[in-house]
Amino acid sequence: MVETSSSIDSRFRSLITETHEGETLNLCYQCSTCSGCCPVFRYNSQFNPRRIIENTLLGKRDRTVKSPEIWLCTVCHTCTEKCPQGVKVSEIIIELKNLSSKEGLFPAHLQEEAKALLEFGMVSPPTKAILSRREKLKLPVIENAPPEEIRTLTSATGFDKLVEGRKSAEETQETGVVEE
Amino acid sequence: MSREYALFLGCTIPNRLPHLEVSTRMILKNLDVNVRDLPGFACCPDPVGFSALDRFTWIVLASRNLAVAEEAGLDVLTLCSGCFETLKTADYVLRNENGLKEKVNEALAKVGKEYKGTVEVRHLLQVLYEDVGPEKIESTVEKPLKRIKVAVHYGCHVLRPSEVLQVDDPFNPTSFESIVKATGATPVDYLKKFLCCGVGVRSVDEDTTNRMIEEKLRYVRMSGADLLCVICPFCLIQYDIGQFQINKALGTDYHIPVLYYPHLLALAQGVSPDELHFKFQRIKPDAVLEKIEKL
Repeated sequence: MVETSSSIDSRFRSLITETHEGETLNLCYQCSTCSGCCPVFRYNSQFNPRRIIENTLLGKRDRTVKSPEIWLCTVCHTCTEKCPQGVKVSEIIIELKNLSSKEGLFPAHLQEEAKALLEFGMVSPPTKAILSRREKLKLPVIENAPPEEIRTLTSATGFDKLVEGRKSAEETQETGVVEE
Repeated sequence: MSREYALFLGCTIPNRLPHLEVSTRMILKNLDVNVRDLPGFACCPDPVGFSALDRFTWIVLASRNLAVAEEAGLDVLTLCSGCFETLKTADYVLRNENGLKEKVNEALAKVGKEYKGTVEVRHLLQVLYEDVGPEKIESTVEKPLKRIKVAVHYGCHVLRPSEVLQVDDPFNPTSFESIVKATGATPVDYLKKFLCCGVGVRSVDEDTTNRMIEEKLRYVRMSGADLLCVICPFCLIQYDIGQFQINKALGTDYHIPVLYYPHLLALAQGVSPDELHFKFQRIKPDAVLEKIEKL
């Protein structure tokens, strides 16, 4: 892909550095310790934390926020722990995912999980079979939070709208998601 | 001195693997650890998916759970490392990020709750190693698991980021081995002990998750361990159900039983395997149970 000035978003880098964890971004000197210790990169070189940080530093919003690769992070925090410069790599990737989610570019399974949370107050609510298994195992009945309370909070933060705003595969192609 | 905790079960243990809750309640009782089931907890929610969708909402929902424990005046005991990372991170950032607490409390006020920062979030590993201690654990053992070799898998969300979680050294921890030794069993070292279980990428890259599981199991097998011991239900799912799946997907023939630590301790405390309901696990631990039976 040929880089043009239009693919550089000058405000994008500050969107990250203005967050609490993201201010460490500028400390990166591209040593690649993060990629070297990343358990996902060992098997899938599409996910390269060093390159994600580099592209963020260079203001390449489309190459990061609109790229499906950021969703390959398993959030083990090994990179953050090992970074000799104290760059919060995994936390920066979380901020990138947040920007991506705002544009509706999050994976389908997360939409399903979030919908379950909004409906039941939990991602894995108890099924009838589990409730009867719990009874057989003599486990106590658990009184979970009323789901309305969770919905009040998620509507206050705008999370419910975010969840509904997921773009389908066709839509994301139209918006030019970078598939490397 | 016995201390009481609010038991935070999360979703996975009570609603997918309730037999882990059985063994946990048993060992805590045997160790005189008091736990209370508080009404009103919700999903933690998951530190991988929900922090990614919207970090602020993730923190708000987590701090709501902390507020429930605060109302009861009890520290929180988590049984799942995912719940632990979420609740502990929320508590940490609310103490350290300027202005965040006010913003979060503004949202919580809509449901009549407030985060104050008055309780501590503890992982089961911390409660067992620090609050109870290996000596006390050992004193409850009726059937020392002599000659049983155990490969421990810490998992990620109990160790890292260490600045936030503050449980043990992130790359050279010893607490899990200590509580395994307290059962009379022998912890064995193996390569890739700190390899992530890979559950965080299960839904987006199945091949990578499978290969992460395979690599871990390869070195556990080479170590000669009788079993793999975990302290997180997601790690258990990865290595138990996941082991069954990779045997099909990659043509391997692993048969390494995966035990949640409370199951191991319960066996050492003389609990019958029938009461531990291993039938709900994919990889049956028959060989190791037989070995224990003969001790």
